[in-house]
Amino acid sequence: MTRAAGFLVLALCISGARIIQAQSAGELLGQGVHAYQALEYDEAAALLGQSLGLASPAPLADSLRTRALTYLAATHLFRGERDSAVAAFRQVIFLNPRYRPDELIFPPQVTNLFQEVRRTTRTIAVVVPPVTQLRSRVDRFKAMVLTSSLANVAVTLAHADGSALKELYRGPVADSLLVTWDGLTPSGAPPDGRYVLRVAPLTTEPDAPRARQVMLDVRQDVPDTLPWPAPLTTPPLLPEQTSGGPALRSLATGLLAGAAVVALPAVIAPAKDMKGGGADARYVVGAAVSVSGLVAFFAQRPRPLEANVRANASQRDAWKRKVDQVKAENANRLQKTRLEVRAGPVTVAERGAP
Amino acid sequence: MNATRLLWFLAVGLPGAAASQTAPKIAARGDAGMVWVHADGGVGVTEMKGPVLAGEGRVVFPGLAAGMGLLSGTLQAPGGGNAQHDLIEGRLFIAARALPWLELSFGPAVRAYLTDSTTERWVVWQGRAHVDAPILPQRLTSYVEAWRAFSSQVNLAAGAGRVQGGEAGVVYRPPRRTFWFRLAYHVDDAAMGTSGVSETLQSISVGVGVGSW
Repeated sequence: MTRAAGFLVLALCISGARIIQAQSAGELLGQGVHAYQALEYDEAAALLGQSLGLASPAPLADSLRTRALTYLAATHLFRGERDSAVAAFRQVIFLNPRYRPDELIFPPQVTNLFQEVRRTTRTIAVVVPPVTQLRSRVDRFKAMVLTSSLANVAVTLAHADGSALKELYRGPVADSLLVTWDGLTPSGAPPDGRYVLRVAPLTTEPDAPRARQVMLDVRQDVPDTLPWPAPLTTPPLLPEQTSGGPALRSLATGLLAGAAVVALPAVIAPAKDMKGGGADARYVVGAAVSVSGLVAFFAQRPRPLEANVRANASQRDAWKRKVDQVKAENANRLQKTRLEVRAGPVTVAERGAP
Repeated sequence: MNATRLLWFLAVGLPGAAASQTAPKIAARGDAGMVWVHADGGVGVTEMKGPVLAGEGRVVFPGLAAGMGLLSGTLQAPGGGNAQHDLIEGRLFIAARALPWLELSFGPAVRAYLTDSTTERWVVWQGRAHVDAPILPQRLTSYVEAWRAFSSQVNLAAGAGRVQGGEAGVVYRPPRRTFWFRLAYHVDDAAMGTSGVSETLQSISVGVGVGSW
């Protein structure tokens, strides 16, 4: 019983400490600001430093971190620690190059120092939405490029291995620039995979701002395409010429019947050696029957059926129109491939990275 | 025996025709031709030829027909001798169209060669099979016909033996006409007893017919 109560007290102490730690970053910031306003700079520097130094699980958000650093820089300045103030302001600028201290809150010596630091601190930032869903060509993926001062940059979409895929922008950025991507690469919609949006300065000077990059997970949602129309066959296509079968059948029948006439005496009276008029007469009839077959063959030779040819032509035209419609619709659908782009955290690219 | 066969054929065929409840149609054909007779009497060969006229009529029911045919002509020896034979032939038949292209018929036939002093008369009961083979549908049809005697009698001492024959030709039906034309070659061979003596008759004929055959 005593042992269990001990464990319970220990667990409560640990969890309570974590709750206090999680909540204290924001509270420390508030207390630090309050101490600053009370001109208690030592206490303010300590509290603000603690609020910035606390790690997860509840670190300060970037906007609060910017605020804390600004108050910390002002505190350092009023304590006569100019270098520390400059360092704090530099961190502010790295966090958000567009940030400006509120001139209603901070006196001119603070804001003037900030502007001085800002002029000498060259940095780039990029802001992208965490998730973007877009239709290729129609919608745009948007990335905000921020610079602390005028800088020439190149914004590039690259494969995860760093090989460039498409350059989205190359040129100067004075303050901020909205760069967009239509969801297409030179070879069409990108296949599913991981890509890098990289914002790099075009200068190679040592004090040039560091390149920033964002990992983008791109997933395609390829739309269903329409099936091709069934190929035209017979039917529904009509025969365009008469069949050659009847002609051949007529020829064969005529020739066989003619042969039957000639062979008839040999079948009926096989023992007789018939010659003369009666026997010769069969050749006349046999020839007549065979010629009838030949005449019928030529009379039934395959010939074009003009009406059917015209009817088929209109059917083919209609089928071709249908194919063209399907082709156009499918091309349209494929052009509007939906992409889902999930952005990772912005990181600083290694120097010399592609 | 022969009467029994005829009665059997009539008993089978006529009720079917009566049951068809369709008015019968009449068809007829007239032929003109040339006949050659080759008689091998064992000790000598006799050849005769001459023109003949023939006709055939039939009453046609759906699937069945009954009719008669006649042939008559005068034959002479090719050398132009005085010997002259009249040829007369008559035939009765009942026919059934077993298939659209096959007609079977049965009936008696009588053939006589007449001189001033003697008459050679053949009486045979024959069964025939007639096969139509269209060359041009509805217009030109070839045909082959074969027959054989089930029984035969002749008023000669040698007696009658095997009698069989065949015919082949072509029928032309002009478009939108009720009449039609026929060209035919005919041969039959009548053996006498078992001596090898026989008479062979060949003919070629051109005919005009009306009605649905």
